[in-house]
Amino acid sequence: MKQVLSWNRGNSSLHFAVQSRDIATTLRIALLSTTLALSGCATTPDAANSASSDSISLGAVDTASTLTPGKYALVVFGMSCPKCISNVDLQLAKITGVAHPKVDMKHGIVTIEVIGPEQPSREALFRAIGDAGFTLREIRTLKTSEAKP
Amino acid sequence: MTAYRRARATLISLVAAAACHVATPAVAQEMLSMPSATSPSPGVFIPRVQARAYFYEESQTLLEQDVRLEYGIARDLSVSLDLPLYEGFFDDPRPSNGEFGLGDLEAIVELRVLREDLGAVDTLRGAIYAGAELPTGTGGFGSDGVDPCVGGVLTGIFGRNGFDVAARWTFVTDESPFLPTFAGTTTDDYANIDLGYAFRLYPEAYGEERVPAWYATLELNSIVTTGTEYEVLLSPGLLLEAPTYAVELGVQIPVSSDVDDAPDLRVAAVVGLRLIF
Repeated sequence: MKQVLSWNRGNSSLHFAVQSRDIATTLRIALLSTTLALSGCATTPDAANSASSDSISLGAVDTASTLTPGKYALVVFGMSCPKCISNVDLQLAKITGVAHPKVDMKHGIVTIEVIGPEQPSREALFRAIGDAGFTLREIRTLKTSEAKP
Repeated sequence: MTAYRRARATLISLVAAAACHVATPAVAQEMLSMPSATSPSPGVFIPRVQARAYFYEESQTLLEQDVRLEYGIARDLSVSLDLPLYEGFFDDPRPSNGEFGLGDLEAIVELRVLREDLGAVDTLRGAIYAGAELPTGTGGFGSDGVDPCVGGVLTGIFGRNGFDVAARWTFVTDESPFLPTFAGTTTDDYANIDLGYAFRLYPEAYGEERVPAWYATLELNSIVTTGTEYEVLLSPGLLLEAPTYAVELGVQIPVSSDVDDAPDLRVAAVVGLRLIF
């Protein structure tokens, strides 16, 4: 939908663009609602909370612009198949300072370790997960005593 | 019978050749015989090799090896090239006695227009695409013109269940595009409409281990021309998907058809392999 909107803006058809956006938004909501209803879907709106009550103990949400050395949990939505692991690995490997990614598909958690003098930015992590094809919801610190490699 | 033995031997060699392509990490939760709204990441190559054997009435056979390369240009933009190779064991005047030839090269640009990640596993994705079949065919397996096509696909994955809906329209600009499902040619524009369902057999729930997943798939693949010819195939399959490879195995069974001047398809078998680079 973003591409459609940008094309509309490029044509300077602002009124048409607004209309298209409204229609597109309405269609998207209707589509999502219908699909979820038909599938009987019980999604996990807060993977972080479910994760914290299970095998991974998460710390506070990290909102710093860069990540200091330590272990972090990336709360990721949309990793629906084993291939996703390869995609995440490939994209995170491009970020200097990020090491040892481990994907927990059950909870939608990617644990990483930030090492070395390079401090990766939050933006780089959001971009990498997005490029891998998924949605990074938030970045949390991992409690040191319970952090997994 | 000689043709069948040769067909079997060729199919085995094609599958073996496909298996030899295995090298590195791999794949995606995609159906066997229809598109999915999945795209490679930027800078990532995904080669896919499928071998198919079509068995028609009166011992006529067609073997197809399909080589597809996908490449991620940007986050939501990818291109793909798809080149089929055929070996025909039809009765005259169609390619017979193992005549070999290239099919038409299909070039597609795909734009992902919807990505709603709803949960740890759940996601809804949509893509539109456009491209053309280029006249690279030889030996009676291709066409003489450029046939443009447009299409769209919607993919939803909710827990262990995956759904796909796809539609495509191909504009036929010449007299002889080759369509395996019609065992020959059509001069009419045609539409492909596909429905697919995948159920994850194993694991029941994902964990922290990198285990391969097994899926049972069921597709309804249809093609209908503006000349009212049509064929509907029921396609059950099995998909094994790991972080580094995917193997697919399935059959296609005609459930309804009305095809002019072509042998009826009895069954088709497909074996596939997908990788990621």
